[in-house]
Amino acid sequence: MAEIFDRLLIRILLAGFVCLMIYLYRYAHVIFYPSVKRQVLKKINPAENPADTLHLFSRVVGISIIFSSITLNETSGFFLSLFHFATWGAVAIALYLISLYIIESVVFYNFDYTDEILKRKNMCYAFISFCHAVVIAYLFKTVMVEAENSIVILLVLWLYMLVIVGISVKYYTLISRLSFNRLMIQKNLSLCFSYAGFSLGAGLVIASCFDQEHYDITVYVIQVLLKTILSLIIFPLFKKGLVRIFPVKVGDGHENNIDTERQSIGYGIYEGCLFVSGAILTTMIVNRIQFGTIYPFF
Amino acid sequence: MYKFFLYCMLVILYLGLAKTLSPSELGVHYLQNEKGFAKLSDKENSSFILIDTHVTGFLIKTYYQKYRVISDYENIEDLIVRTSKEFARRNMENIGLSLFRRADGREEFNPLPPGSLYIGDLEYGYWKKNRDGKMEWRFNKSFKNLPNYLGWGEFRPDEEFYKEMKLRTNAGQPYYGPNNEFGTKGKVTRAAFPHFFREDRMKKVELKTLLIEYLKENF
Repeated sequence: MAEIFDRLLIRILLAGFVCLMIYLYRYAHVIFYPSVKRQVLKKINPAENPADTLHLFSRVVGISIIFSSITLNETSGFFLSLFHFATWGAVAIALYLISLYIIESVVFYNFDYTDEILKRKNMCYAFISFCHAVVIAYLFKTVMVEAENSIVILLVLWLYMLVIVGISVKYYTLISRLSFNRLMIQKNLSLCFSYAGFSLGAGLVIASCFDQEHYDITVYVIQVLLKTILSLIIFPLFKKGLVRIFPVKVGDGHENNIDTERQSIGYGIYEGCLFVSGAILTTMIVNRIQFGTIYPFF
Repeated sequence: MYKFFLYCMLVILYLGLAKTLSPSELGVHYLQNEKGFAKLSDKENSSFILIDTHVTGFLIKTYYQKYRVISDYENIEDLIVRTSKEFARRNMENIGLSLFRRADGREEFNPLPPGSLYIGDLEYGYWKKNRDGKMEWRFNKSFKNLPNYLGWGEFRPDEEFYKEMKLRTNAGQPYYGPNNEFGTKGKVTRAAFPHFFREDRMKKVELKTLLIEYLKENF
């Protein structure tokens, strides 16, 4: 009974510790977004600015995803394990926030956080930011698992992941028919759904490229690169195929009508679903085919 | 058009990188034909014995061959090479034969029974009369394990064998032994390399049988 109670106590203490770390994040958020200092450090009013609420809590969701990949090994002593947990948690959150900052700087290079979220309450911006937060957290989690408690490998893989994600977000303009900048200014929700599908799909594909056994870091990095390029080759095939299988009627032939219909939520959902299903099928083609080796025969 | 060009570039980039960087592409030499043997080993007195062959791929086939390379004094290693379709097909009947020999700067390419490089060379062995009164080749004590590596089993070449082998060498023709003991259909080879002649590798399975077995196994 005493042992069970002790374990329960450890769990409760750890939950409290995680809450403390998330509390500390409130201050870290201010470092990246100084203009939001008043809102974040005092009580938040979700009804006042839903876009800001979504933006802030997307980070909290991301941090929670990252925490879920850190293990606490109590056998080496509670305080030592807690120290390990805190160190890795702090490093992970710092790297996560930096990567989020970099990726958002790439995607939103024409937009400013203060203008879009605080002044215009742009839900489209907040939703895309939410997608980034979740997808990058998921990718960071994968990288952390692969790093196996080695900070050097974590740094190498993190940088590598960042480069691949940075390139992949630019891929959106190539494969989507929606104009990112124009629709963002219009706060168009069609863009939200389309981009959400794209970012979720890209996240799944990149995570599947990183998720493989590794014994040698050089060979691992090469394999990830090859799988990423292979995914870039396979994905358009599925996208084209799905468009052919489910052709959509857009407008009645006039350029203006086509543009208007593409801005409807329905078209955004259609594109988003195409991206996600194409990406899932791509991961299957890239990762689930076993070609075997010549060695069983020789 | 721009997107198509970009896609083609991506495919070329992938193929190029995969060829250059992929671990599965490293360490396996390519053997176009018999002329390529010389590049695989620079050792004197070396003999390449074909011991296995394998084809992989669905639409585009890749051919592999496994050689036992015996060089200098009992230096033995197994070597896997990728090879051309033409060369692989040409040597399908030559399992267990020596396809390349180099001695004293001279190179021979006609398929001969394994060990033909050493037979008659008094540095490696001697002729001894057997019970039937025929002269039989025996290796010196220091090379007593060579017959095992060569896959001879109980077979011991006699003078007739040696003379015929020399004749075929001069004519550049293959030789499978006096009673076709060597090669894919040869008894001696079949006994020496049972791995290649394993029943499950030899049998050609019909689609119907394969399907029935699959259904039995999985459902």
